[in-house]
Amino acid sequence: ILTPVCLTHLLCRIKEFSEWAQCLVLDLVSKYVPSDSNEIFDVMNLLEDRLQHANGAVVLATTKVFLHMTLSMNDVHQQVYERIKAPLLTLVSSGSPEQSYAVLSHLHLLVVRAPYLFSSDYKHFYCQYNEPSYVKKLKLDMLTAVANESNTYEIVTELCEYVANVDVPIARESVRAVGKIALQQYDVNAIVDRLLQFLEMEKDYVTAETLVLVKDLLRKYPQWSQDCIAVVGNISSKNVQELKAKAALIWMLGEYSQDMLDAPYILESLIDNWDDEHSAEVRLHLLTAVVKCFFRRPPETQKALGAALAAGLADSHQDVHDRALFYYRLLQYDVSAAERVVNPPKQAVSVFADYQSSEIKDRIFDEFNSLSVVYQKPSYMFTDKEHRGAFELSEEIGSLSVGTESMDIAIPAQRVEANDNDLLLSTSEKEESRVPSNNGSAYNAPSVSLATLDTQSELISPLSSLPSYAPNPTLVIDDLLGLDLPSSSAPAPARSPSPPPLKLNAKATMDPSTFQRKWGQLPLSLSKECSINPQGVAALTTPQVLLRHMQSHSIHCIASGGKSPHYKFFFFAQDTEEPVSYYLMECIINTSSAKAQLKIKADDKNTSAAFSTLFQSALSKFGMS
Amino acid sequence: MPVSASAIYFLNLRGDVLINRLYRDDVGGNMVDAFRTHIMQTKELGTCPVRQIGGCSFFYMRISNVYIVIVVSSNANVACAFKFVVEAVALFKSYFGGSFDEDAIRNNFVLIYELLDEIMDFGYPQNLSPEILKLYITQEGVRSPFSSKPTDKPVPNATLQVTGAVGWRREGLVYKKNEVFLDIVESVNLLMSSKGSVLRCDVTGKILMKCFLSGMPDLKLGLNDKIGLEKESQLKSRPNKSGKTIELDDVTFHQCVNLTRFNSEKTVSFVPPDGEFELMKYRITEGVNLPFRVLPTIKELGRTRMEVNVKVKSVFGAKMFALGVVIKIPVPKQTAKTSFQVTSGRAKYNASIDCLVWKIRKFPGQTEPTLSAEVELISTMAEKKSWTRPPIQMEFQVPMFTASGLRVRFLKVWEKSGYNTVEWVRYITKAGSYEIRC
Repeated sequence: ILTPVCLTHLLCRIKEFSEWAQCLVLDLVSKYVPSDSNEIFDVMNLLEDRLQHANGAVVLATTKVFLHMTLSMNDVHQQVYERIKAPLLTLVSSGSPEQSYAVLSHLHLLVVRAPYLFSSDYKHFYCQYNEPSYVKKLKLDMLTAVANESNTYEIVTELCEYVANVDVPIARESVRAVGKIALQQYDVNAIVDRLLQFLEMEKDYVTAETLVLVKDLLRKYPQWSQDCIAVVGNISSKNVQELKAKAALIWMLGEYSQDMLDAPYILESLIDNWDDEHSAEVRLHLLTAVVKCFFRRPPETQKALGAALAAGLADSHQDVHDRALFYYRLLQYDVSAAERVVNPPKQAVSVFADYQSSEIKDRIFDEFNSLSVVYQKPSYMFTDKEHRGAFELSEEIGSLSVGTESMDIAIPAQRVEANDNDLLLSTSEKEESRVPSNNGSAYNAPSVSLATLDTQSELISPLSSLPSYAPNPTLVIDDLLGLDLPSSSAPAPARSPSPPPLKLNAKATMDPSTFQRKWGQLPLSLSKECSINPQGVAALTTPQVLLRHMQSHSIHCIASGGKSPHYKFFFFAQDTEEPVSYYLMECIINTSSAKAQLKIKADDKNTSAAFSTLFQSALSKFGMS
Repeated sequence: MPVSASAIYFLNLRGDVLINRLYRDDVGGNMVDAFRTHIMQTKELGTCPVRQIGGCSFFYMRISNVYIVIVVSSNANVACAFKFVVEAVALFKSYFGGSFDEDAIRNNFVLIYELLDEIMDFGYPQNLSPEILKLYITQEGVRSPFSSKPTDKPVPNATLQVTGAVGWRREGLVYKKNEVFLDIVESVNLLMSSKGSVLRCDVTGKILMKCFLSGMPDLKLGLNDKIGLEKESQLKSRPNKSGKTIELDDVTFHQCVNLTRFNSEKTVSFVPPDGEFELMKYRITEGVNLPFRVLPTIKELGRTRMEVNVKVKSVFGAKMFALGVVIKIPVPKQTAKTSFQVTSGRAKYNASIDCLVWKIRKFPGQTEPTLSAEVELISTMAEKKSWTRPPIQMEFQVPMFTASGLRVRFLKVWEKSGYNTVEWVRYITKAGSYEIRC
């Protein structure tokens, strides 16, 4: 969009814009793709003084331009980091905590991208006693990221101070930070000592966090087991209540049972309290630990093993039950084979999985200076409807009252027709899709699914309680087969390639749960906002008015609700052509602002455009355009 | 382009909406209910200033007894949004005459609506500078009857403001006496370990100015900072005078400062706005002179007794003195009885913050008063929970002292009519977060 002429024009006059307008200009500039390196340097020279601007938003916007322009030039990119470091650190230390939080989030992103460039500035990330916890948490993350051989000692010393902090979440976070540093370092000697000191602080939450970390540490550095186990052995399992910590402790008891004198007895007492252990995760760990312990010290553990297997087999949790059964049969089959399975020589874990892919990190970096950085996820994850979860829609339908109009539409004859038609369809489909045996059940779907649907749709009882009402079997089968678009996958030899003029079935039927499912599955084919003229608003005193109007155009309502000025309607319509395809619509109307929002989803993409025009023309007669 | 706000709400502490303004219709009018139920009425409040509920993001800030909430539904520019709120509050304060709270909002509904219309369009912030806005929105805030009445000012030609190159100053100002006040305000942040080593120390300073100058004056400010001095000695090929030079880590300037000229000549030159403004901000980490040293010794004698000895040493010049020195020494929650001996000032035990508060109104340089206290504790059953020692915190103000050593070397005023000006320069050092672990 931005031509070089336009760019220079804007940049040379940037001082004439107000500080807020400068932010917008800079944001525009960051989208510009420079043609060569000279142009990049020109832009940066023109903008360098913006980094000294008093308005933090301008500084961040400039930072974005610099970072994005130099992405292709590695060495310059690094110099940019050096240049922007000081202004960003200033922004962090001035202004309200909320402002510094916003800036810190960006700094955090940069620190994580290039920790080595910030390793000498670690003191800026020390927490102050009175800072709010959201600032502290980011700072802890950054301290973890910048730790390297030269500054680890200072950073860990500082982190240890925070562990004694009154703020429990921060104390926990600090312990985790120490652990993370331990996992990324080569020389962990001093850190292990510190971690073990935490265990001696005798604070429940510190102990719990530390146990989890010691476990991870032992998985990576088994050579430290002697030191750790000596301390861990002194911890009474009664003082450990948190699930993860308990699981970690049990894991260590199993793994190092030969080094811990009373490991079998601790496990035994834990098994005695099997029923009080509510977490399946802990019970799973307990089972494995007992089996491991059994192979190391059989005579002492045999009794506990028996008790554990018995308790496991009687367990109501499927996984626990299965694992107990598995161990039981394995031991029965061959004890030495079981030992090879349960107690193989351990391999140290070299790298723990990173929870965020580099692709996502790059996406966030592309969206520098926006919310994405604060949330630490790319914008599509929190702005698109699809990613926010499907629960919103089902809640909506559930809370709406069902349109009474559609009740009298169900006509048996028509349904029979549909069923026949489906039998044809399914036989022709059999050849290509009858692979797994459980598909067979799909063919008697009408009866089965009716029963299940009845139970599902208690909320919308007026419709589903009608005995004559059945779902369209096509949908059910396709659903079970996992096909999205029935009409496109079904063979339709009779159909001409060009779509005939669309005719809607005046007596179409559909049940609410099918609607709900289809609504969730189908992609949006049209979303539109339109305004309603005054006559339309005046006519819309009750939802029924619109329902009758739409029905005269063969568009039926499945659910409607709301009270003035907000109304919400869900409509559907059915094609008269074979194979039957459905169109679903959502219509949200606000009579006070005279606005309506339309969403259309269609089974058949080919005819969706034709339908949209039809639907809109029907609405326009009601005064919406 | 990222917006800054779709809607802005002002809520009181109970969550009632005082004022709201929708800038875009992509957020529903009832989103604020979600904020109330999901943030205000839960423990979430204060855990994070940016939260997402449903499809909307909420940015909130508490200012005195008002929550200002910004709602957006798109991927907005957070830094800009927070800056906008801060600036808007500053603007409201200048209209209301200093205070911004629930009462001030209730008294000024109409004015606030008018301002909200002006300072943001369709989610993009517009001009927020009070000097300019006061030209268009001449309505005055309702002040408390006791504050002094503002003097009437003539309304000058407003169109110049929008088009003219100098957006922050109007033309045709006349003062009988031309004066400039310049304050260097530094706040020292310190984090000292219990062993007395400095973990972290920096100074954030700002230069505040108050100008009462006629016409369109050009000002030039010289400081004893390293870069500026070096550049000057280069230009004038004059050997650098001996004396301390200060290395500024980072500087930011008010929009009136000519940044291009700062980059090429390293001089701060500007056409100042009328009245008060913040000329520049800077940060210094090297060579900070700490005004106070604190030497604490806290001994726990058994389970019910503690001995606290704190020595505070002032290390600035003997002729100077600090004002309003407050030293907060933390003690455990279960403190029962305290007794003090202080060589200067007054001390008392404040149970609500679990601190011994030692106040010294006037603290001369090169002295070292001490406090020794005995603290008796209630013996509790939960003896295992050892006391986590929070840091000692300190507040102070030292006039005519800069922790960084920064000095103003010259302040030149040039105006075409060539009038004489009177310049006043003040220095003050305050405590930022001055923490000593013990």
